[in-house]
Amino acid sequence: MRRSPQTLTFLVLAGLLFALAACAQLKALPNLPATHPEALATGPVSCSECHEDQQKGTMKAFGAFNHSAAFKANHRFYASSDDILCASCHKVSFCADCHTNQTEMKPSVKNGNRPDRAMPHRGDFLTLHKIEGKLDPASCNRCHGRANNERCIVCHR
Amino acid sequence: MKKIFCRLLPALFLAAVPCAALADATLDSTTLLRVFQDSRPGFEKRTFLPATQFLGVDADKLGDGNLSAHLYGWGRLDLADKSFNDDQSSGSLTYGYLQYRFKAANAQARAGRFFVHEGIINEQVDGVSARTDLPYGFGVSAFGGATVHTAHLLSENSDGKGDGIFGGRVNYRYGGLLELGLSGVYETKAPVLSDPALSGRFGDRRLVGADLWFSPLRMVQLMGHASYNTETMGVAENSFLLQVTPLKGVTLSGEFNDYHDRDLFYSSLLFAGMPSILSGNNLNQQSRNFGGKASYALDEKTEITADAKHYTREIGKADRFGGELRCSLADGKLRTGLGYHYLRASSDFAIVPSSTASGSFHEMRVYAMRDTKSYQVSLDVIDYLFKKEVSGKESALEVLGSLGYHFSPDLMLSGDLSYGSSPQNLDELKGLFRLTYSMTIAAKGDTK
Repeated sequence: MRRSPQTLTFLVLAGLLFALAACAQLKALPNLPATHPEALATGPVSCSECHEDQQKGTMKAFGAFNHSAAFKANHRFYASSDDILCASCHKVSFCADCHTNQTEMKPSVKNGNRPDRAMPHRGDFLTLHKIEGKLDPASCNRCHGRANNERCIVCHR
Repeated sequence: MKKIFCRLLPALFLAAVPCAALADATLDSTTLLRVFQDSRPGFEKRTFLPATQFLGVDADKLGDGNLSAHLYGWGRLDLADKSFNDDQSSGSLTYGYLQYRFKAANAQARAGRFFVHEGIINEQVDGVSARTDLPYGFGVSAFGGATVHTAHLLSENSDGKGDGIFGGRVNYRYGGLLELGLSGVYETKAPVLSDPALSGRFGDRRLVGADLWFSPLRMVQLMGHASYNTETMGVAENSFLLQVTPLKGVTLSGEFNDYHDRDLFYSSLLFAGMPSILSGNNLNQQSRNFGGKASYALDEKTEITADAKHYTREIGKADRFGGELRCSLADGKLRTGLGYHYLRASSDFAIVPSSTASGSFHEMRVYAMRDTKSYQVSLDVIDYLFKKEVSGKESALEVLGSLGYHFSPDLMLSGDLSYGSSPQNLDELKGLFRLTYSMTIAAKGDTK
């Protein structure tokens, strides 16, 4: 079915108008703050201690982001859709302590003076990985599948 | 190329420092000098003295106030024997990008090297990206550029990645109740490999997926994502998490993960190439696990956690269960914790499977840390106790002690000493010196 030039022109103009209207509305949409406006206490935070309402930027309740043990263990689910909220308090280097592309030492070695921070592969993981790798290889693949595997390939050729 | 990079990286950081001084900025530097020796019987005795420098710079409010620059990377120089690979020195730029935050709609654009975490996408890219919220709860993000290559597999002159990559995510949010996302990643053609055994197991990285966040009640959250490999025409992953907070301080969560190995590992040259170790020769096999975790914060200082998880693979089944206690006392100056977990696994999961072997082990950990204005001291003890001996050893123990002195709030010198006894290394003593410097020119809510 061929459309006439007039129809195509009309469709393009309508599309442009729609895009312009959407852009005009963007200015009314809220921004998350670039940084948390107040200094936070050291250690895991509970957003709901101060905030009762719903995040305007994420449209989710503040309580959803309380840093409980369960939250920390499953933070990948939150970071995959709300990393812009994470960035309000955490510098990217905080994430890069573990999540990186090429590194030569375990995060727990670099941060050996911080036993309170949850870090992967503490202790003799060289022995343990021979069991854990068979148990749940998908969890290994997440970090070492396409990165951080220079030491892996020495044996796993 | 590596030499050029090793020279370029410090120059880049040096150039960034004056820029940082002109803006609201933070600079984080960690210098590590590790000392250890390899004196295993039958091997040549070697002494290692690698010096590693990590450096990060974040300069905000550049230009009109919405532009920022972010750099982070590391470099290593071996002062004695080669410690990691065949290179006496090495380095990597983890990320380095310019970011522009628009004044509304959480819109931002990035250019440079950065990580992308959107839906099912987890990539490191040299390129550009942009995201914005749209009216009526919609949102969109997109990225494109060159892949960041890593170490070549020894048998192939490649890391298995294509040279270009792009992707994006669209999402819809209904205030406080629902978020739905669709995302995809497309990498240009993967290199042709010489190993015929990889045929049908390894190929291009092309995934599409969906993610979900659903909160019918404020105390209930259901999250999940699923990815589909368009090359193998199969579902790679299904992961779901249900989290319930029925009372203040109480968090209950349940998770379910289902993986299809061939579809999940298809674009990983490392994992696609070692099926016999991971899953027999059947790359279509499923891995499934489900479990739960319950945590209770007694008060702001103490949190107790119990968890259990069941693993199902075609080679066998396993269960892991245990608990953890964490305390933060004296306004966070004293932090302690202890934990215990037991993995009950059949002999199929043992390091060397046999009718008399076992993959089961106990994991015990206890730590304490004291951090004051003037000093920092910590002790961390981890012991893995095997149900059946591994290479004649009943356990793998590591004890790590650290002592540091704060010259100022920004500058600290610390030293770590660790002792390990394990099936891999009968006795292992390692030392580490650490100089950390963290400078903040303008206040940020939280630095870490």
